[in-house]
Amino acid sequence: MSLELRIQGLSKTYPNNVQALQNVTLTIPTGMFGLLGPNGAGKSTLMRTIATLQEADSGSVTLGNIDVLRDKDKVRRVLGYLPQEFGVYPRISAEAMLDHFAILKGIHNRKERKDIVVALLRRVNLYEVRKQNLGTFSGGMRQRFGIAQALLGNPQLIIVDEPTAGLDPEERVRFHNLLAEIGENVIVILSTHIVEDVSDLCSNMAIISKGRVLAQGDPADALQNVEGKIWRRKIAKGDLAAIQQELAVISTKLVSGRTVVHVYSDEQPAGFEPVAASLEDVYFSTLKRSKAEAA
Amino acid sequence: MFGAIARFEAKYHLRAPLFYILLAVFFLLTFGATTSDGITMGGAVGNVNRNAPYVIMQFLLVMSIFGILSTTAFVANSIHREFELGTDQLFFSTPVKKWQFLGGRFFGSFSVAVLVYLGVVGAIMIGSKMWWIEKERLGPFELWPYVYSLFVMVVPNLLLAGAIFFAVAALTRSLMATYASAIGFIVANAVASELLDDIANETLAGLLDPFGLGAFGLGTRYWTVFQKNTQVLPLEGIYLWNRILWISVALIVLAFAFWRFEFTTGTRKSRKKTRREAVEEPGLIQRIALVLPKVAQRFGGGASWRQYFASARLEASIIFKSIPFIIILLLGILNIWGNSTAVDSMFGTPVYPTTSVMVEMIYGAFSIFAMIIAAFYAGDIVWRERNIKLHEVMDAMPQPTWAQWAAKFTGLLLVMIATLAVAIVTALVLQTTQGYYNYELPLYLKGVFLQIGVQVLLIAALAFIMQVLFNQKFVGFAGVLIWFVLSRALPALDFEHRLYRYAATPQSPYSDMNGYGHFAWPLTVINGYWILFVAVMLAVCHLLWVRGTEGALRQRLQIARQRFGKAVLSAFALFLVAFLGTGCYIYYNTNILNDYRTTKQNEKRQADAEKKYKKYEHIAKPRITAIKADVQIFPERRAVDIRGEYTMVNKTGQPLRELHVSTNPQTLTRWKYDIPGARVKSDDPEFGYRIYTLDQPLAPGATMPFRFEVGYEAKGFPNGPPNNNIVENGTFFNSIAYFPHLGYNNGIELEDRNKRRKYGLGPQERQAPQSDMRARMSYGISNEADWISLDTTVSTSADQIALAPGYLQREWTEGGRRYFHYKTTSPILAFWSYLSARYEVKRGSWTGPDGVKIPIEIYYDAKHPYNVDRMIEGVQKSLDYFTKNFSPYQHKQVRILEFPRYARFAQSFPNTIPFSESIGFVADLRDKDTIDYVFYVTAHEVAHQWWAHQVIGGDVQGSTMIVETMAQYSALMVMEKEYGRSKMQKFLRYELDRYLRDRGGELIAEMPLSQVENQGYIHYRKGSLVMYALRDYIGEDRVNRALARFIKDHGFAQPPYTTAGELVRYFRAEAPAEYQDVITDLFERIILFDNSAREVSMTKRADGKYVVKMTVASTKLQSDAKGEEKQIPVNDWIDIGVLGEKDTVLFTEKRRITKPVETFEVIVTGKPVKAGIDPLNKLIDRNPKDNVKSL
Repeated sequence: MSLELRIQGLSKTYPNNVQALQNVTLTIPTGMFGLLGPNGAGKSTLMRTIATLQEADSGSVTLGNIDVLRDKDKVRRVLGYLPQEFGVYPRISAEAMLDHFAILKGIHNRKERKDIVVALLRRVNLYEVRKQNLGTFSGGMRQRFGIAQALLGNPQLIIVDEPTAGLDPEERVRFHNLLAEIGENVIVILSTHIVEDVSDLCSNMAIISKGRVLAQGDPADALQNVEGKIWRRKIAKGDLAAIQQELAVISTKLVSGRTVVHVYSDEQPAGFEPVAASLEDVYFSTLKRSKAEAA
Repeated sequence: MFGAIARFEAKYHLRAPLFYILLAVFFLLTFGATTSDGITMGGAVGNVNRNAPYVIMQFLLVMSIFGILSTTAFVANSIHREFELGTDQLFFSTPVKKWQFLGGRFFGSFSVAVLVYLGVVGAIMIGSKMWWIEKERLGPFELWPYVYSLFVMVVPNLLLAGAIFFAVAALTRSLMATYASAIGFIVANAVASELLDDIANETLAGLLDPFGLGAFGLGTRYWTVFQKNTQVLPLEGIYLWNRILWISVALIVLAFAFWRFEFTTGTRKSRKKTRREAVEEPGLIQRIALVLPKVAQRFGGGASWRQYFASARLEASIIFKSIPFIIILLLGILNIWGNSTAVDSMFGTPVYPTTSVMVEMIYGAFSIFAMIIAAFYAGDIVWRERNIKLHEVMDAMPQPTWAQWAAKFTGLLLVMIATLAVAIVTALVLQTTQGYYNYELPLYLKGVFLQIGVQVLLIAALAFIMQVLFNQKFVGFAGVLIWFVLSRALPALDFEHRLYRYAATPQSPYSDMNGYGHFAWPLTVINGYWILFVAVMLAVCHLLWVRGTEGALRQRLQIARQRFGKAVLSAFALFLVAFLGTGCYIYYNTNILNDYRTTKQNEKRQADAEKKYKKYEHIAKPRITAIKADVQIFPERRAVDIRGEYTMVNKTGQPLRELHVSTNPQTLTRWKYDIPGARVKSDDPEFGYRIYTLDQPLAPGATMPFRFEVGYEAKGFPNGPPNNNIVENGTFFNSIAYFPHLGYNNGIELEDRNKRRKYGLGPQERQAPQSDMRARMSYGISNEADWISLDTTVSTSADQIALAPGYLQREWTEGGRRYFHYKTTSPILAFWSYLSARYEVKRGSWTGPDGVKIPIEIYYDAKHPYNVDRMIEGVQKSLDYFTKNFSPYQHKQVRILEFPRYARFAQSFPNTIPFSESIGFVADLRDKDTIDYVFYVTAHEVAHQWWAHQVIGGDVQGSTMIVETMAQYSALMVMEKEYGRSKMQKFLRYELDRYLRDRGGELIAEMPLSQVENQGYIHYRKGSLVMYALRDYIGEDRVNRALARFIKDHGFAQPPYTTAGELVRYFRAEAPAEYQDVITDLFERIILFDNSAREVSMTKRADGKYVVKMTVASTKLQSDAKGEEKQIPVNDWIDIGVLGEKDTVLFTEKRRITKPVETFEVIVTGKPVKAGIDPLNKLIDRNPKDNVKSL
């Protein structure tokens, strides 16, 4: 199976003149695909467009031989979608709601429907509380319920938008495992602003910012590109401004109370030590570069 | 802390939708009641200003009863919320004191419950500013009545309801228990008020009614219009005590709740197990890889339909579970229950709760609630997923777009169906509790679903369409509101056509006799027209339905282009063509087959006719002496064909050169006259007025014939109200509307004073004084004849019986039609009628003292056999009394004929008494304590065979005293013989009440009885009281002797006709000298008493008898025509009396009272219980309760 999602020259401008997508071109093969970008980069717009919820101004999207922008119904039949924001009917039980979603997903055989609902509820470990009204669920439980509905009906394309927000670390791991397992056979697009999510899971990724694709490809290849060009130094807080003047600082963070600076440089700058590049470094250096180009 | 909790609580409720829904409900109900007479709250407003203090008080009071449920919703929620959401632990562990927590919660939620009433206040304020409201019905704006009503009525009532249900919620911690107890409270309250409703213990009832409704009624019932327009109910007496009592109760209940409330998450074991334990995070996503079972997915075709059905069910179930829905539904049920005893009742006697009565009640009392549910949830359902942010998931699901919106629309319909089904079930329960088991389910379905249901559907559709098209929640709701206002404003602005008034389906009353009859088709067509409009708009909605996150118009249009296709286009085109076609059909009916005229155009036409032809009112004309008419009724076609001939005699004493002939072009569709030797001088078909010149003037005493052919045929249906006289089953029409007249008929004049002013007409002429001899030459009902003979043939369909006054000469069938030939055998007034229906006939007879047998026949509908025997008995007993005491009966037969409920009266024609199906035929007389008004109305109408049909007065003041008051007296006597004196007292209490109440609504002048100007509250209500008192003073024999002599002298007399003054002289001739002043007071003045017992005491004598000593007060007032009263000295014969157990009369005697306060001592046998002045309420006394005092 080699289903492919092709996005060609996709552009979208909102009525308030925000250019959410600018000529986005991406090819997403089967497997986990990470869509990385800061908040407001256009990730959700891209996801919603693929999920048939939004129109594009120009460009095309095809899933196999389905024209996603035109043949919405066909896309929806093979789609599993978990949006960033997700509410529920408060006075309906988890089981009843999932059963209803199953009908909407075209599962009409009563027995099959019951089986899959039970299996999914077990899978996301909500089986014990299946009779409870969704209104009483905590954020995490609700998120798991959202995952369950996205997995209904053998989806070929699964889109999950910032799915691990609100999950605790352990749960996040479990969730990743689940995704990885599913991602073996279908396209899973995972949108996130957390680099680790992508580095842990994805065989392919794209970095987008301000509606543009800044980089795409195998995370391993991306790492290759920056390998040996990332340097690090612990500094006093006051020195940061001076360093920023001289070098391409890609990130600063606090480690045990000290500020640690990562810089991108072909040569080793004075006082810096080499460090093994992480995807984070790729991400930040990409963003920085695009900012610099724009400036 | 208290303040913080209260503020938090109030803010919480102000953010939730319930507050706004209730605000809207209360606003709309009140706005409707303020701006139209179609929606009523607590009784019709009558002549009172629309913003009168009385109206403000009444509206707020009635709405405060609805507060039982709305208040419960807020205060119960404030307590219950913690337990439901499981945040109670959080709260109870904070350093808040119990009273702060409970007090803050209660105060915050209670304040919001009170705030809802701003909707009522605002509705009256804004409603009375609407431009279509008559300026004459508006008083100056005053703030005080609002403030008064809010703080004296609303706040205490809400406090009581709030306290009780807050306590229940706090102590049981169960929402279900709270609502159940609220409903229990309402039912208990209804039952209690029913029990306390007996007129005898009003004071106790007034005190015990927790909402002060009874006390309010007691305090205001005899208010005049002036009082209603200017004052609020003084806070004194029973009303003050009522308020104090129930505020105290509320505070005690609240204190009890505070004391008993356990400030913990629950000590009882049962409370321990909460769903919260399950909410504990049970675990994580399963590590073990469970293989998901394989499933088959199917899309399109049948699968789409299944998705649609499942979604519709889900949509409906979400609404069923929502609190506002449940509350509005309960309010609706409450309103049905509250209205159930009032429907169609007369003299406190209910009617059988027939299904048609129930359907009517659902229409009046429930449909507004269904409409509010429709309008609100239509908006809600469109926005639901977007509100809770489920829309992205839903919209990405693989169901077709049509199934998505159609499921919502269908869900809405399911809710409406369920809502109306609840109303039907409520009605069925009501029927059952009243022991009525003839449930007509098909009629329920037709009446409730086709009449109300379609209305509600159209409103839901309107709201739905507006929300979808505008895609702005508040614009959508505003759109519905604009429609609501326009639907009332457009007719007032003279835009009445149903083609452009959305959902303005015609009123379609149901009659057991005629079914929906001729209303059914226009209702169906107009319903269909608007449903097709909805279908067209839904096709547009399909294109513009927002699926996904694109809300801007440009993108929506872009998506619409994608959705556009053959299917949508053909549906749109099909519905559009059908809609336009139906519209053309309606136009053809309303504007081509019928004349389209607005109310204003009709009024203007009436005014024009008066301006043009009033001048001929008193021209000299011949008199009709004999009438021959061949009347053919065609019930299926709703047509009538009249060929007739008047024989006219010149009684004027001068030659007549002209003849004026008029017909009513509003009722007749064609007319043709044949007058030998006459030429048309002028013809005005618009007003149906034609003037002929006679070639040979008609010499005094000479006779000439006037032949005519007139007819009516219903064609299609009109925009306005249809002709309800000539119908498929139950035709009833009279000669005034359907026969030609000689000259101007003042019955067509506009009566409303404001309208007359608007069209430049002066005030209508009042009735002439008794000295006006010209006026006395006619008897008012007709001014073109004296006593006539009638010879008429009437034919109808083979399955119907046709009737007219007179004695049946011959009956035959010809050409598949039935013919009846009737002929009068004694002279009758020139006012007669025709009826035709599929009748059952019940026969009885009465044999007079001379051995002559008079057949009695009741023609009734098969569905209404209940009281037919009562009617026969009523006729028999009436004939007994009247022939014995007045004069012989002039006809050979008495017939009572049922006609459909389109009109609500009984009317006496010679030997023929049409009786509406809505009075008498369905009266529920099973309770022996009720007033048998069937018997009473029968006796009254039979009495008209004497009073009117034997003796009638000239068209001058007091004429209706001869006709109506004497019929009342006659009926009272027959009724008293049948039911005894104590029943009469109950009946007369109603008459007194109505008289005192209605005189407050007089606009022109209250006349003394002998000069009454056709004023019902005088000639019926006061008439009963006056005649009963006269009988008491001078005795039944003397009264009857006077009446018998009066008939003997004036029966069947020729003009000038007699007067009420003359009748009073007959009474005076019989009355002893000491009662001459009484007659003056009763007939010639407006006198009111205020008698009361001050002090009463008794001592038992050695011989076992009792000495009763009583001090009584008497005040006598004389009122002028405007209602201004002045006190005059008492010098009257008034009963003093002593009553025993069960109000048995131990002693009563007339004493001449001359001083304001006097003391009497009497000796009675038997144990006295009460004593006082006028104990049996024979005089007109504004406060009849205090006449006796308990010993």
